Amino acid sequence: MTSQPILLVEDNPDDEALTLRAFEKSNISNEVIVARDGAEALAYLFPADGDGNGVPRPALILLDLNLPKVGGLEVLRKMQADARTRVIPVVVLTSSKQEEDILDSYRSGANAYVRKPVKFSDFADAVRALGVFWLLLNEPAPSRGPESD
Amino acid sequence: LTPLANGTLAALLEAAPDAMVCIAADGRLVLVNAQAEQLFGYERAELIGQPVEILVPDAARAVHPGHRAGYVADPRHRPMGAGLSLAGRRRDASTFAADVSLSAIDTDEGILVAAAIRDVTAQRRIKDLERSNRDLESFIYTVSHDLRAPLRALSGYSELLLEEYGGVLGEEGRGYAERIVAVSEHMGELIDYLLQLSRVSRAELHLQSVDLGGEAAQIAKEIQRREPLRHVCFTIQRQVQALADRRLIVTVLQNLLDNAWKFTSGRDDASIEFGTAPSGDGAVCCYVRDNGAGFDPAYAGKLFQPFQRLHAARDFPGAGTGLASVRQIVQRHGGQVWAEGAVGGGATFYFTLDGKESA
Repeated sequence: MTSQPILLVEDNPDDEALTLRAFEKSNISNEVIVARDGAEALAYLFPADGDGNGVPRPALILLDLNLPKVGGLEVLRKMQADARTRVIPVVVLTSSKQEEDILDSYRSGANAYVRKPVKFSDFADAVRALGVFWLLLNEPAPSRGPESD
Repeated sequence: LTPLANGTLAALLEAAPDAMVCIAADGRLVLVNAQAEQLFGYERAELIGQPVEILVPDAARAVHPGHRAGYVADPRHRPMGAGLSLAGRRRDASTFAADVSLSAIDTDEGILVAAAIRDVTAQRRIKDLERSNRDLESFIYTVSHDLRAPLRALSGYSELLLEEYGGVLGEEGRGYAERIVAVSEHMGELIDYLLQLSRVSRAELHLQSVDLGGEAAQIAKEIQRREPLRHVCFTIQRQVQALADRRLIVTVLQNLLDNAWKFTSGRDDASIEFGTAPSGDGAVCCYVRDNGAGFDPAYAGKLFQPFQRLHAARDFPGAGTGLASVRQIVQRHGGQVWAEGAVGGGATFYFTLDGKESA
């Protein structure tokens, strides 16, 4: 089994550095690819040239909501609309705990919603728990190529 | 339509609830009612025969005759200046926000245009307030989220400093870094409180009959379970029915009982009481009383202000937001809150709510 990358969609450089550090601390060895706005994330998920077979599907996407250019919810909706990306687990990782944001995320196809704690050790614990669940415990959708729906 | 006699029209205008004026095709005032005299501050005789622009604010005077001609060309009954903030001009040149609706009336002296004018200063002020409230809420929302990001960085890098460079920092340096972590967390709580405030002010109230005594007993049991070693005597009056939003009023009771619990922590004979006091006009007046640290009555007014604390943080921890929430929620219900107390003499917090009429 090849190790699939984690796609971190995060525009704040400090949050990016701390999340990467938290992954290191939790011994998660998957490569982490960083997209700094929604447009970069979509460009990675839907490469313009060819069918994107050369790009490994992420095992997990950590998605901020408040992003420049294309927001997190829009990224979710675009992913839902395509059979290839619909099955990738997406965890919304954000500052907000507004009911609207949580509801909108689930309605747009998020698999989980985690509010970033202020305290770094709590945040590192959360990242570790997410990694253990989504990369080890959870059984991902089998890759059989594009579905025909 | 049968043309109206002018006398009949004048009598009709007098009976109208709104200020009304009629103008002829040349834009001169033909009829005004008493309400119009009062609204604009003119005597009737001063208005009749004058161009209607005398009632239009200076800024709009130049364009008004053009609009007037446009209406005469297509005289349907309609509000004037749809989507615009209209205003009227009084005799003393002051202006007021106005809604104007127009209609054409066929009289024995030809077509007249009738305008009903309503002073909507109050309504427009409410609309402005509602808008600025919404702006404020979205501002609070944005700012709270933008403030949390740098906090995470402050706290995160400080923790990394401690973990990876703790040896280099020395004991004092580690202490400083630990304080950065602690205050970041505290500021996170303050920001959460701001968010909560804006949520409560926006939330729709779902009023129902709530047994406050039952809720208080539930909360007391929960608090006791958190610290089973403390002995506190709870006295809770049961069957206290009030009309309230259950989720919000439970927050009120929770905050008041948590406070009572916290401020009696120094006493071996701590007692906390929930009950009702006599009150007038169908309201329910509830209180939460404790025999704890109390407060200086001179500062009673500050108790309910956000981020105000009357005790040192090391004695009684807290962000100073609990009572501010209590006040906000009770006021949202149309009730009042106040407190009585003395240093070392315990505290009593009162709040009023609409009672539930017994069937």
